[in-house]
Amino acid sequence: VKVFVIGAGLVGATVVEALHVDHHLTVVDLHPERLKPLSQRYDVATVQASAASRRELINAGLAEAGLVIACTSRDEANLVAGTFARTVAPQATTIVRTSGAEYQELWREGHLDADFVVSSELETARAVSAAIGMPSARHTDTFADGQVQIVELDVSGAARTDVVNKPLRQVPVPRDSRVAGIIRDRRAILPQGDAVLEPGDRVVVIASPAAAKEWCELVCPRRGDVRDVIVFGAHELGVAIARALVDQTIGVRIVEPDSARCGLVAEKLPRARVFNTTGLDPEFLRREGIARVQAAIFAMRDDARNLFAATLARVHGVPYTIALAHDPVSADVYERGGIDVTIDPRRVTAEEIVRFAHDPRTQQVSMLEGDRFVVLDITTRPESEYVGLSLREMPIRGALIGAIVRNGSAIFPRSDDVLRAGDRVIVFTESSRASVVEQVL
Amino acid sequence: LTTTAEAPVGRSARLGVDVSASLNLVGSLVKYLGPSALVPTAFALTHSEPTWPFLAAGALVSGFGLALERVTRGAEEVGIREGYLVVTVTWLVAAAYGALPYILANDPQLGRPVDALFEGMSGFTTTGASAATDVAALPVSIQVWRQLTIWLGGIGVVALGLAVLPRLRVGGRQLLESELAGPEVEALSGRIRDTVRRFALLYLGLTAAGFLALALPGWAGAHRVMNTYQAFAHTLSTLGTGSFSTERGSIGAFGPLTQWTIVVFMIVAGTNFLVLYRALVQRRPREAAREEELRLYFAILVVAAAAVVAIVWSRGVEHGEAAVRAGVFEVTSVVTTTGYFTVDYGHWPLFALMTLALLFFVGGCAGSTAGSIKIVRHLLIARLLGREVVRTVHPELVRPVRLNGVVVDQQALLAVISFVLIYVAVFLLGTGVLALEAAFRGPHMDVLDLVFASGSTLGNAGVGLGPAGTTGSFAAFGDPSTVAMTVLMWAGRLEILPVVVLLRRSYWRL
Repeated sequence: VKVFVIGAGLVGATVVEALHVDHHLTVVDLHPERLKPLSQRYDVATVQASAASRRELINAGLAEAGLVIACTSRDEANLVAGTFARTVAPQATTIVRTSGAEYQELWREGHLDADFVVSSELETARAVSAAIGMPSARHTDTFADGQVQIVELDVSGAARTDVVNKPLRQVPVPRDSRVAGIIRDRRAILPQGDAVLEPGDRVVVIASPAAAKEWCELVCPRRGDVRDVIVFGAHELGVAIARALVDQTIGVRIVEPDSARCGLVAEKLPRARVFNTTGLDPEFLRREGIARVQAAIFAMRDDARNLFAATLARVHGVPYTIALAHDPVSADVYERGGIDVTIDPRRVTAEEIVRFAHDPRTQQVSMLEGDRFVVLDITTRPESEYVGLSLREMPIRGALIGAIVRNGSAIFPRSDDVLRAGDRVIVFTESSRASVVEQVL
Repeated sequence: LTTTAEAPVGRSARLGVDVSASLNLVGSLVKYLGPSALVPTAFALTHSEPTWPFLAAGALVSGFGLALERVTRGAEEVGIREGYLVVTVTWLVAAAYGALPYILANDPQLGRPVDALFEGMSGFTTTGASAATDVAALPVSIQVWRQLTIWLGGIGVVALGLAVLPRLRVGGRQLLESELAGPEVEALSGRIRDTVRRFALLYLGLTAAGFLALALPGWAGAHRVMNTYQAFAHTLSTLGTGSFSTERGSIGAFGPLTQWTIVVFMIVAGTNFLVLYRALVQRRPREAAREEELRLYFAILVVAAAAVVAIVWSRGVEHGEAAVRAGVFEVTSVVTTTGYFTVDYGHWPLFALMTLALLFFVGGCAGSTAGSIKIVRHLLIARLLGREVVRTVHPELVRPVRLNGVVVDQQALLAVISFVLIYVAVFLLGTGVLALEAAFRGPHMDVLDLVFASGSTLGNAGVGLGPAGTTGSFAAFGDPSTVAMTVLMWAGRLEILPVVVLLRRSYWRL
């Protein structure tokens, strides 16, 4: 498919990174300095053009596109580009990135002519609530209408002794779960029965939601359910996160230094408690009993400030910290700084966008460890060589089937389960192998 | 010559208020008052009483209005500053108009200008405090005129509360949440006229309903109910939440059926007309029922009535249904600032009287014909105080005060607080003036009597105690007190601020 990416910012770059191997890409941006690194690193065509100019987009080759992704940082430009794509390339699938939820609502009501509208705020909020739901997971995502959950967990030193340093086949793993991968020294091991979990590893588990929770308890036993959280920063992302959590009847406190912003948020979210302070005042943290929250979310615009505030919160006894990273470099810094979960709003947006660029049989994509590993949700073709084989008989191609969705319900297969035509499979693999996996299934 | 010609120009140029345009607007408003004098004239004709005091009063006020309009230069739009002047002067002129027939007829009870102005102000502010010692002895045409002034005042009050004061930033537009109020700075005409027309129709409809409800039992031949004339007279004052009556014993002259009917219509008149409009005309009663002010209004009525009934019954002052009826009636009468009575509450236990005295400061809903502080302000202050209590523990907490789910801005809250403080200050000042005069002359007054007099005139309730109680009259007060209470009624009706603001030098300055 010819993919037309409009906007070469962080979202655009992530999309390009994920798609450049399998697709013919054209990247458009107004600023040549953003296009240059992309053209140097990847085999993609870059064109300097404005997203809001129909003539420039046509000159860049919009008419031949099969998939148009409008992901500049400006909502209106994306909407305009999406509209142009509709007229210039009627056959193309259009994906429009917006920041807030408002345009997405409009789209759901059928007022915006795009195939998909992806909202960064909603995606970020979703990622945060997923992390909150699995407080010890480094990454989590759900598939098949919530029947299947993937979790990436740190194997901590406090892990149960019957789990670590033992071959997996001897480990009493929770029912309805499969270990899809072990990540050690940034390399993935697709585990056989004799693989061993070691403290310091990260383990990717594909499981039912209940079994996923059990896994959390096994490898990093700590927190219970999250009932109270505190959100630092009440800009758009912070508000979207707070709203998502309030809707789950979690008690939310919001900390924001700007008083006008506070008033606005307090008006919009009557069920959240809003505090007008920096959140860096130890007196405040003590007075409000910050140590008693189960999680703190840092959604301020400045990553350095997020790290500082998170560290201070940890000093005051907050057990679980989630921080938004706006700069790609922050993820590593956060991790080193002791933040439990890093969520990059642009990456989660790109992830959602990339999902649509995959084979149409691919229902969903989730990226792990940056985007080095992916979990795909693919419907098998009847003519696939894997159909009719049991899991034990399947040729190993650097991928692992974690779950099968058959007739709408999830199965967590054993080695003698047989794959049937039309099954949906949840597969863990390296990103570079995603297209191979898609082809063979 | 040139200097004398230029001097006034120079002076008016330094004036920040367009007095000419304001008076022009006053003239164009009060000229419509004249024809109302035809109603008592008709009664005067049928009862062969003199008609000329009414005709003269009508002609005078309309002539005055027309003349004022003629000699002053109007403006297309008048601003907020002019608005204050317009409402204060208009109410003063209306009160004077109300007083004219009493003076011209040289009525033995109300003929003295001080008393006449008190009576006129009491009518047009829908207070209902009367300087007449024996209302039943008044000529019929004078009785009708008294009732009519309340009804006219009522319509003016609704217009004032829903269309004018919100725009003058008194009470705060948000308190009324009026879909009819336009942008902050707007000409005080146009849309106001439209608003007033709509509510005038509703007011007329309610008046017709009230008249029928009161008169039908009489036509059906029931006992101790109102005859057609009494029904007409009392409908006028009930809808305006004033308490002028044609009977010595007020509503006590009638039986339980009439008393309960009056309770219902007092409650209706004390309801925000915007809410009534929504419920009755636009047929969205469910929306109206969600109104927080309305809910608190009913809650206050129920709780206060229960308290008064309990004490009155348990102390054996009244029994059974009579106790319930008397308690509910008196509480409703005070909360809605109507001021009728059915029994001589003067002998009630002190607790019941204190409850009534406190209720003077409650008032009906905003946007009704009731006076006083009004329910919505109490609601907002309670919420504000609740928040401040929480903030002593959580100083950084930001929690906006909401009314019906909508955030009320700080400015409006500040206006509410300052209104209540000024209200209390004016009340204390008024009580002080009354006490000062009482110290030198007149019948003996105790503290509660003075509180009743001051609180009920400022709150436009018109309920007296002691010498001004059920068997007495406000005529018991000396002239200085009568004037003071006239001012209290005037200021209370205009929600004080327009009157107070005129006393400020900065108001007049450019």
